[in-house]
Amino acid sequence: MSSPAPAASLDRLVSQVISPGLCVACGACLGLCPHLLFLDGQVAAPDPCGLEQGRCAQLCPVANRPPATEPAEGPLGRVKTAYAARAKAADLEGKAQYGGVVSTLAALALSEGLVGEAVLTAQGPRGVPQGVRATSREDILEAAGSIYAGAGTLGLLNQALSEKADHPLALVGLPCQILAASRMKGHEKYPDAERIGLSIGLFCTMNLPGRGLRALLKENGISGPVERSDFPPPPAGIFQVWSGGEYYELPLEQVRELRYPGCAGCPDLTAEGADISVGACEGREGWNTVLVRSGPGEALINLAANLELIELEPAAAESLEHLGSAATAKRTRAAEEQNSA
Amino acid sequence: MPDVSALTPGAKVLLQGNEAIARGALEGGVSLAAAYPGNPSSEILQTLAESAEGAGIYAEWSTNEKVALESAAAASFAGLRAMASMKQNGVNVALDFICNLTISGSQGGIVLVTCDDPSGVSSTNEQDARFVARTAVLPLLEPATPAECLAMMRLAFDLSEQIGNLVVLRSLSRLSHTRAGVVPGPLPPAGPKPYWDPKQAWFTIPVVPRHQAMLDKLAKAGEILGAAGLNRYDGPEEPELLVIASGSARLYADEARRMLGAGERVGILHLAWTWPLDKELVLKHLAATDKVLIAEELDPFVDTAVKSLYAANAAELGIKHFFGQDSGHTPCIGELSPGKLATALAGILGLPWQEVDPDYAQRLETALTLAAPREVGFCPGCPHRASYWSMKQVLAADGREGIVSGDIGCYTLGVLSTGFKRVNAVHCMGSGLGVASGLGKLRDRGFDQPVISVVGDSTFFHAALPGLVNARWNNSDYVLVVLDNSATAMTGFQPHPGTGQTAMGQPGTPVDVEQVCRGLGLPHAVVDPYDLAATQEALYDALQQGGGVRVLIFRRLCALVQGKQGGHPHSISVDPEICRGEDCGCNRYCTRVFRCPGLVFDEDSGRARVDEVVCVGCGVCAQVCPAGAIKLSPKEAAA
Repeated sequence: MSSPAPAASLDRLVSQVISPGLCVACGACLGLCPHLLFLDGQVAAPDPCGLEQGRCAQLCPVANRPPATEPAEGPLGRVKTAYAARAKAADLEGKAQYGGVVSTLAALALSEGLVGEAVLTAQGPRGVPQGVRATSREDILEAAGSIYAGAGTLGLLNQALSEKADHPLALVGLPCQILAASRMKGHEKYPDAERIGLSIGLFCTMNLPGRGLRALLKENGISGPVERSDFPPPPAGIFQVWSGGEYYELPLEQVRELRYPGCAGCPDLTAEGADISVGACEGREGWNTVLVRSGPGEALINLAANLELIELEPAAAESLEHLGSAATAKRTRAAEEQNSA
Repeated sequence: MPDVSALTPGAKVLLQGNEAIARGALEGGVSLAAAYPGNPSSEILQTLAESAEGAGIYAEWSTNEKVALESAAAASFAGLRAMASMKQNGVNVALDFICNLTISGSQGGIVLVTCDDPSGVSSTNEQDARFVARTAVLPLLEPATPAECLAMMRLAFDLSEQIGNLVVLRSLSRLSHTRAGVVPGPLPPAGPKPYWDPKQAWFTIPVVPRHQAMLDKLAKAGEILGAAGLNRYDGPEEPELLVIASGSARLYADEARRMLGAGERVGILHLAWTWPLDKELVLKHLAATDKVLIAEELDPFVDTAVKSLYAANAAELGIKHFFGQDSGHTPCIGELSPGKLATALAGILGLPWQEVDPDYAQRLETALTLAAPREVGFCPGCPHRASYWSMKQVLAADGREGIVSGDIGCYTLGVLSTGFKRVNAVHCMGSGLGVASGLGKLRDRGFDQPVISVVGDSTFFHAALPGLVNARWNNSDYVLVVLDNSATAMTGFQPHPGTGQTAMGQPGTPVDVEQVCRGLGLPHAVVDPYDLAATQEALYDALQQGGGVRVLIFRRLCALVQGKQGGHPHSISVDPEICRGEDCGCNRYCTRVFRCPGLVFDEDSGRARVDEVVCVGCGVCAQVCPAGAIKLSPKEAAA
């Protein structure tokens, strides 16, 4: 009997990412095998696996950081077209985080048969979000709105990919998740990942550990389910929470302290590898900024506009400039972190 | 177990040591026998329970050993003969009562049988329970054969009545479970009608004069036993070496002397009763030799008594050389054997001797390299495997380095790989709750690890209640997991308060764990450990809850009992097309990590498969398989 090789993938993942507390709960390692489990917002590996070429460590965006150097295309990466946009559908009102563009595009991809299923993030048990697999507009609406806590969503993507099916899949995710999904597609031992047909990236404002956020909310007298939360743009300096019909404001500093330490080395603000990236639109409440990055992304947004599901306007240059500055600032902080690590 | 009341007096039969003890109790006129199961003692009460109806006696599985002895004492106070049997740990449980009973004294003959377990074959400790004779000033009998077990039990009841105190009989694993020819005697007529004269009081005060009375009783016991001539010498008049042996060591000494052909040089003083020490006889034989070897199982009990006696008489006796544990000739740890004693004798006498033939030792070593390494483990389908699996998963996901405080029963094996080494502490019956209670009070000092206490259903009723009440009272923060398999499985499926059956097969009044929790006002829930997802959800939530004690009852019938009741309705199979084998995404998860013996890895096909002979069809592995390759299908009806 030989003992497990010291360079086993899972051992690396545990020693470099999980044990030092650097996991950001993207879920790239989940759903591939039974050795990694996700409960209440946290990834754990109870037992050793022993394989040296496991996908878990190879896909992890923390164990394999993208370089913190600015892309040739500029601080926002490759952008074919940038828009300000909002959804027209009335049923998104009050559910969508900003302009409802993400929900609209995901639902459209499903209804048009561009994908058979979409993987996204929704509220889960104990007030901690979780990945969900959506096959209908209703499912998509259930998942509308930002939650700002790690949900292990890619575990659901891995699970969906492991099933025998031919249809393409859509992913709605944070930059770390979009990065991991693109690694899946290129992985020689992960042919099923070719089914990832559409990726909608979210601008990453802040990603928090679910358990820590729950504890913080409880400290601030919020123990019921959170209906909506938001980080309004500077200089607000607050985290807004709506729960049980009440509105709460938490000091931004308190929330910042909670952030995953593993996020510090991430250089990507706008999910540069996505087909389309979506986020808040500076100065325009109820609107999204949309960065179209690929041909399929362009086709989808045009289809949505042609079907009059969304309103599109060219993005304001000043707004894009500010977004680019924020992206550069994040990349600079990541470079410092990566250099100091 | 056999009904030993039906044996024919005078007709030799093969009896196990424990069965002979039971028959001896019946011949000695026992009316009430009580015990708590614990190997190697369990068969005594089991045999008496089987024989109770035929013999017209009452036999009881009590909740613990102290209660068992207290029940027996009650019968003694009311004029009946009674007994309690237990393993060495049980003597500790009953000790407080023993140390008071010996002062209050007794009326009807009352006998305490302790079965010690050298090497801890079926125990969590190795302990010599003979200390109780010295501590509580009680006569101690040490039979060596099943026939002696029977005869000495008979004698013990008489002796107890003659001195008005408890008498202790010590057996050992080897004796309790060996079988030998025994000639039963007649059974006495039924005992008297129990009656407690209200003028007769049984208590311990005034302590000082009663303490003196207790010492006098032991002295009287020595006189009675001395007159009975049970201790005997066998060997040359002036041996070169005197072996003073007791219990099983008497047989080993005989055998060692025979193997060495040293009958002319070695004499053996057989001590059938060791407390009080048979001073007159020992002094007589000390005077006739220069070298003395003490042979006994475990502690130097006789050894220290003999040396103390020698010290008091050294001026007359002259210089003697003592051999035994102090000299390194015999072990105080692990079971003694004829071979070990022969090695001791040969060393002292300068005789050539090899305990193991070198050629045999070589072949043995070779054979051992061929044997698969095997660890004690849970049975296939055991709910405890599923329970510890869930605890392992949940504690890892919880991530706060949780501690599991263990207890005594099959689930003690949680310390080994069969329980994923998920148990962090095990001591004695019920101690898991006390340890958890203490841990759960360290929160204010910064102890932030979650705590689980696991306890079996039988142990719950034996000794867990005071610890649980303590934790409730003091608001200790932990999760109590009651591993309720509705059986006292480790010792042979004896009934307990939860099962509601009594030792004699009559319906009792079942006491369930939920009732106790309700009574204590404890939050509690019942889950099926076979349902891994539900169990893990419930356990995780209980851990997060914090506050005082909260109870989860993991209820699922012992796999062996389930088997006796017809087994599970499924048969299990692995679909080799779906099984991932050694690939990324599995790497033999079921056979390498979950490790139910019902699953094996087929090296030829590189896939897992079910060993149909071993698998009981519990279906837990199907929930563990990441690929859904393990299938449950309805068991085909037997042809």
